[in-house]
Amino acid sequence: MKPRRAILESPHLLTVLLIGAVAWSLATVNWSAPLVHTGGGKSALRFLLALFPPDLSPEFLLVCANAAWQTLAFALTGITVAVIIGFPLGVVASGALFSRESRIRVPVMLAVRFVLGAIRAIHELVWAVLFVAAIGLSPLAAIIALGLPYGGILGRIYAEFLEDVPEEPLVALQSAGASSLQVLVFGRLPMCLPDLVSYTFYRFECSVRAAAILSFVGIRGIGYEIQISLGDLLLGQVWTLLFVLLAIVALVDFWSGRVRHNLLTT
Amino acid sequence: MEGMQAGKTGTILRPGRRPLTFARLSFYAFFFLVTVAWVYIFWDGDSGFTDLFREQTWDNAGRFLGQMAGMDSDRRPAYLQPEQWWATSKLAYNTLAMSVLAIGIAGGGAFLTFMLAARNVTNGDLGNTPSPAGAVLFYALRVYYAFTRALPELVWAMLIVFFLSPGILPGAIALGLHNLGIVGRLTAEVVEDLDPAPARALRSSGAGLFQILLYGVLPQALPHFITYLLYRWEVVIRTTVVVGFVSAGGLGREFRLNLSYFHYDEVALILLWYLLLVIGVDFLSAWLRKLARFE
Repeated sequence: MKPRRAILESPHLLTVLLIGAVAWSLATVNWSAPLVHTGGGKSALRFLLALFPPDLSPEFLLVCANAAWQTLAFALTGITVAVIIGFPLGVVASGALFSRESRIRVPVMLAVRFVLGAIRAIHELVWAVLFVAAIGLSPLAAIIALGLPYGGILGRIYAEFLEDVPEEPLVALQSAGASSLQVLVFGRLPMCLPDLVSYTFYRFECSVRAAAILSFVGIRGIGYEIQISLGDLLLGQVWTLLFVLLAIVALVDFWSGRVRHNLLTT
Repeated sequence: MEGMQAGKTGTILRPGRRPLTFARLSFYAFFFLVTVAWVYIFWDGDSGFTDLFREQTWDNAGRFLGQMAGMDSDRRPAYLQPEQWWATSKLAYNTLAMSVLAIGIAGGGAFLTFMLAARNVTNGDLGNTPSPAGAVLFYALRVYYAFTRALPELVWAMLIVFFLSPGILPGAIALGLHNLGIVGRLTAEVVEDLDPAPARALRSSGAGLFQILLYGVLPQALPHFITYLLYRWEVVIRTTVVVGFVSAGGLGREFRLNLSYFHYDEVALILLWYLLLVIGVDFLSAWLRKLARFE
């Protein structure tokens, strides 16, 4: 028999809180105002009917292919920046570079973790909008905007993986006279490399979706084409683009799933 | 004998050509793609790389930061005026409501479907009788999850404001749909990995499908489900601002407006609210996740 829990730890409190929160959020919606635009129902119907058929003309498919590549290119370059930011910071944040006795270990770890948390707190599109306001629109600005929050996430997860390796091999290396850096390179890194690569692949999957919406600040790609086609009410084209986005996300998803399965089971 | 064993170990440890596994091949392919992408970015017109070495770029960036800090004018910057904080608090409140409503929509939708999207429920592994309708439902739900998950929140929002009036609701629906796919799939996978013993025991004592799900599956899956929802809430609160750009609800709209009017000190105020919300939700979610570990 467990000791009686305080109210603050009771699961019933959770139920009440969750249901209460959703009820509160529903109450904040202004239900008396019309929820659907005038003519909104008609536009919804038109949008659905445009599915039969989507725009499959060769010229438009070429546009789609180009947009798909652009989106992929931004996802790939963005994840590169994320790894460049996340890996060194993650290594420092894991504390593996310092010996346990070192007095600066904990302050440095905390400081780096704070930086990682801060860049991760802001959504990539908010970064992008800020960069556009600060230095103007350029592909590189968009790539860095994508890389910053992803670097923050990668850094935190890398640090966790590096910390979670079994201690015994590291102690063996240490007693054979290896320095902290050598323990890291020959002990920690090889042991968690599959996890690191696997998680990076998972994040690549997410970066494809993120790259698609960078269009919002004017970066070319699938999101950009969707915006243009929606604006011109070419709804058949919108459907084609949605399917293309779906296809590349599914493809990358499948690929990264296979890689991760391979890495983590063998 | 000893010599043979040493020789054996020797062959294992000898650094030779490593086998080309699928993962290794993928790694090379990925590296190749990354290289091509960078070449493409630099070749396709102005990448903005040269801007990084131009003094004007950094002047502009410096000026922007100065204006955000409110150092360009004599009047007090917005984030030092309590009445400005008060005036924008309503937007922060709406943004928080939008994120909670989004999680409510995602959670409600996933809760109703996730058990039917688990293979072991529909193929009878839990001792229930499989039905063709169940199999169809399984695939339909998995396709539905994949579809809602694959489209980013912002794309959903663009499509939804096409026919719903702007406000909190369209943004919440957009966020909710995307997260419905994510949470649904994750929880369905949890159900597939569950211990089937309780469900089978229920079945052998005569329980129907509904009873098996309610007493054999749900109690095991629920803590995971709630944990995933709370994790997604942390992501959703970060995305509400972005969805607000399009759906005109909460802080996102004000952020955009202030940017286009060059009211950068007010942009800073909105960003502070945003960070407060993000940090607050991270703490709340961590606390609630602790509660969710039913023992």
